[in-house]
Amino acid sequence: MKKTLIAIPLLCTLLFADAATILPVEKRTFEQSKFIPDISLILDASYVTRNKKDDEIAHYEIPGVAHGIIGAHAHGEHSHATYNAANGFNLNYGELVLSSSVDPYFTLDGTFHFSENGVEIEEAYFTSTALPYGLRLRGGKLLSNFGRINSQHHHYWDFGDMPLVYQAFLGDHGINEKGVQLQWVAPTETYLMFGGEVLQGENEMMFGTASIADPTATDPDAAPLAESADAPALFVAYAKTAVDIGETTVMPGISYARGTSRLDHFEDEAPHAFSGMSSLYGADLTVKHYFDSYSFLTWQSEWMMRDMKGTQYALDTNTTTLGSASLRKEQAGYYTQLVYAYNMNWRAGVRYDSIYQNDVTKNGAVQEMEDGFDRISAMVEYHPSEFSRFRLQYNHNTALYNEDGERQSVDTIMLQANIAIGAHAAHDF
Amino acid sequence: MKKLLFYLLLPAALSAHLNIAVSYPYIGALTKAVGGDHVTTVVLAKGNWDPHFVVPRPSLIAKMRRADALIMNGGQLEIGWLPPLIRRGNNPKVNPSAPTFLNLAQGIELINKPSEVDRANGDIHPAGNPHFHLDPNNIPLLAKRIADFLASIDAEHKSIYENNLADFTLKWGKNLERWAQVMAPKKGMKVVQFHDNLAYFNKAYGLENIATIEPLPGIPPSPRHTLEVIELIRAEHPCCILHDVYHSTKTAEYIRDKTGIKIVLMPHDLGALESVDTLSALFDHLTEAVTHD
Repeated sequence: MKKTLIAIPLLCTLLFADAATILPVEKRTFEQSKFIPDISLILDASYVTRNKKDDEIAHYEIPGVAHGIIGAHAHGEHSHATYNAANGFNLNYGELVLSSSVDPYFTLDGTFHFSENGVEIEEAYFTSTALPYGLRLRGGKLLSNFGRINSQHHHYWDFGDMPLVYQAFLGDHGINEKGVQLQWVAPTETYLMFGGEVLQGENEMMFGTASIADPTATDPDAAPLAESADAPALFVAYAKTAVDIGETTVMPGISYARGTSRLDHFEDEAPHAFSGMSSLYGADLTVKHYFDSYSFLTWQSEWMMRDMKGTQYALDTNTTTLGSASLRKEQAGYYTQLVYAYNMNWRAGVRYDSIYQNDVTKNGAVQEMEDGFDRISAMVEYHPSEFSRFRLQYNHNTALYNEDGERQSVDTIMLQANIAIGAHAAHDF
Repeated sequence: MKKLLFYLLLPAALSAHLNIAVSYPYIGALTKAVGGDHVTTVVLAKGNWDPHFVVPRPSLIAKMRRADALIMNGGQLEIGWLPPLIRRGNNPKVNPSAPTFLNLAQGIELINKPSEVDRANGDIHPAGNPHFHLDPNNIPLLAKRIADFLASIDAEHKSIYENNLADFTLKWGKNLERWAQVMAPKKGMKVVQFHDNLAYFNKAYGLENIATIEPLPGIPPSPRHTLEVIELIRAEHPCCILHDVYHSTKTAEYIRDKTGIKIVLMPHDLGALESVDTLSALFDHLTEAVTHD
């Protein structure tokens, strides 16, 4: 009897043993591993040393143009550091990229930045793949194709920081917005592309839509200083072309952006706000010569000019009095950089930045403003392989002024590491 | 009058034309051989540059924009440069999911498939060695795939493509006999390469690759690895270094100076060397290069 009782479960086990067999991948009925998107993770870290302390440099500004462009700055309820902000070690981000086809009609791409301050969706957009007549539609959160460098991710840049004119006019992320983008490639022998974008317009340096509350109002229902603007409120257009002359490619482009400005800086140390309309004009030129499969020389330049017109509000913190004035800013700058890739492993480059125009008119009266804001940079870069990169960069920056209005000389040395795992990232030209 | 219109329209219909974008020159040559007068080929990559690192110039985007079809090598050989062109060309006909897209690697048996896909082993191709066009026995198979592809997107000229394929295959068969005869004495010969892009050629003719100068695919030669190669050459006495035309020959020259070994430039595609302007010239050159003493 005992033998029978023992035998029955053993028999059952043997009968059902086949159910536990692990089938090879190709025989699993609901196998879906082939549908995993392309995944990659890019780590960006740096060691920075500057001749100025962090808390000092956080207060530096380019008079009339921008403040807080190096170092962490508080903005409203969130605080996020710019890249390579601190003396010492910086973990700028881990960038997670997911990319795949959705169906025969769309692809989906997502770029997520993980940092100590949280997770940010840098880009998340669908792209059409089946539209006829050379059209392509993209929607979601995206980097605008304004200019040349704006649409490139940070880790793809030749230098570890944004060109000065971009930093000053648009901030470290450039035009990075929710919206839609339509591009048309002309059916010509020569490459010719036209694009237009309708974007939300939330760039914190130059464009914005949120209403601006009166900081002196005691009544919570008081009328705002500036009503919120209808969104979407930023419109971008550009044209790009390229010609090859032997092994040299010459690629010029022009860009234009126009949008509403609602810039609320009342929580800053010098509380102020701006409400108006702004235009941004850009022209870019890239000349790239390839010597062979791995070595090249690239000369890349971009010029930008902005025209901001509206009303400025300033809060006198001593008297708690609010003043307003009509304001117009016409400011222009450019950068030009030369990068030489000696072979697959070594590159070197120099860059010159300048903001040469700083015209500010207040209540019709031209203001006396400093101009001639300059920075010069040099870098050497080593690529052990396609998937890792180390860069040593030096910046000499004479564009910054302290709170006493004195021009500062900021010298920075950065050692940057950029390391990727996962799917190949194939980059545009 | 109606007859006149009919005759005017007829030539246009008969000369209906396909604009085929192809990734590499050898594919262009095959497509032209099979397609004849009914196709124009637009070759995206230059034959003398590294096929892994083609520059995705905007001028190539314009070519993608106007292509009626795209034929690529596959095996991830184009992974670093073709996706951006496809993305920016705004042309549904060149999408990998379109019937007007052909990946030649699907349908070819790739060799040297890695047992482990890991970047620690360099920039490897997970599906195997993608340089399969360098086995001359694969050429007729590739030509047939292209003929079938052209027929599927242009059924009107199917019989022409089939006839062209038959002519090509017949001529190629004669070439195969000649090369097999010339290469027979070289079976078992030891060789060294910079990058193992001749794996299929070596396999076809029984050459034995004993070392590559790059320690791992895509990783530049290190001094230690170079010394190991030198020691191996002294021990094994390979015939020569079969060197591609796009990598620097500096390390190979250093090895030659230390060992006396001969350096032989081996073109990988049409245009890799000026004299290599047809498919048969490519293999004529390869076979002559290793048989010339």
